[in-house]
Amino acid sequence: MRWFYKLLGSWITLPGTGGEIVSDHGGPVRTRAGRLNELWARWLSGSRLGATVGHWASRTISLPQLRRLATGKIPWAPLRKPISDCTVVLLTTGGVHLRTDPPFNLNSDSTFRVIPKNAQSKDLAISHQAYDRTDALRDINLVFPIERLRELEREHVIGRLAEDNYGFGLMGSAKKLMPSIKEVARRISESGVDLALLVPA
Amino acid sequence: MTTVALGLVKEVAVAAHAPRFLYLHWPFGHALGEPGNVVQQRTVLHDMLSMAAIAAEPGLVIDLPYRWRREKYEPVLDWRTPSEAVVSAVSFRTHSDEIAKSKRWADPKEEV
Repeated sequence: MRWFYKLLGSWITLPGTGGEIVSDHGGPVRTRAGRLNELWARWLSGSRLGATVGHWASRTISLPQLRRLATGKIPWAPLRKPISDCTVVLLTTGGVHLRTDPPFNLNSDSTFRVIPKNAQSKDLAISHQAYDRTDALRDINLVFPIERLRELEREHVIGRLAEDNYGFGLMGSAKKLMPSIKEVARRISESGVDLALLVPA
Repeated sequence: MTTVALGLVKEVAVAAHAPRFLYLHWPFGHALGEPGNVVQQRTVLHDMLSMAAIAAEPGLVIDLPYRWRREKYEPVLDWRTPSEAVVSAVSFRTHSDEIAKSKRWADPKEEV
């Protein structure tokens, strides 16, 4: 039965059948998804019809949940200092994490990973299966613009990039994600961050 | 803490009550553009920082005007000035609010 599980796992992402694929260009590594998941992701990212279906799926899954969770007023915290004095933190939902950290569960994962500000592209990995990672593996800045923000820090455009930045994986349930979000929000506000930039995949 | 969100699906950010939201009609997995296109990536970051600096009220959603590969991206020369895309969207919103408040020319009864 083990061979059957492995065979099935090569087509559809199953727990424990993944493994990682090392990049050829010194970039981030990638957690292996099932072949069918991979084709699906490529279709979502690479064709007009796929994009329409992706947008539709994203709305169908998240809108009812968000309408239940996000009630009341829209939160508002205006910036109180110039951008060049601000500490900026970067958050991504593109499944980015340190290569040395355990990968996200590709089917759904409500945990988060800390990514230090000096992480290099080759230290990173992407564990996500709902978008085509080909381009993001070539240039991690597409989903996690850490190199661009380090540049802006050197150029004194922003005050400082936060020591810890955060990565999230694929998660269908907003409610299950809440504890992680609260924990990250607590860490960020305690570390004296002024501005958070949120980047999706 | 101030937050600025980038997004590829507009309705989701509106439903999530994002205080400041920039929408790009780009393929999934390409939130900042194309691999290796540093100018394009910096343009998007400039828009995000501009929005943090000048958005005046919660719930502002800006459709960024960039047309994926057909756009010609110019390097950002002055990072202290907010980007044109964000400035025009913010001023348009303020202006249309003023018109809505005054309601003068929109009300046909008052014209008579």
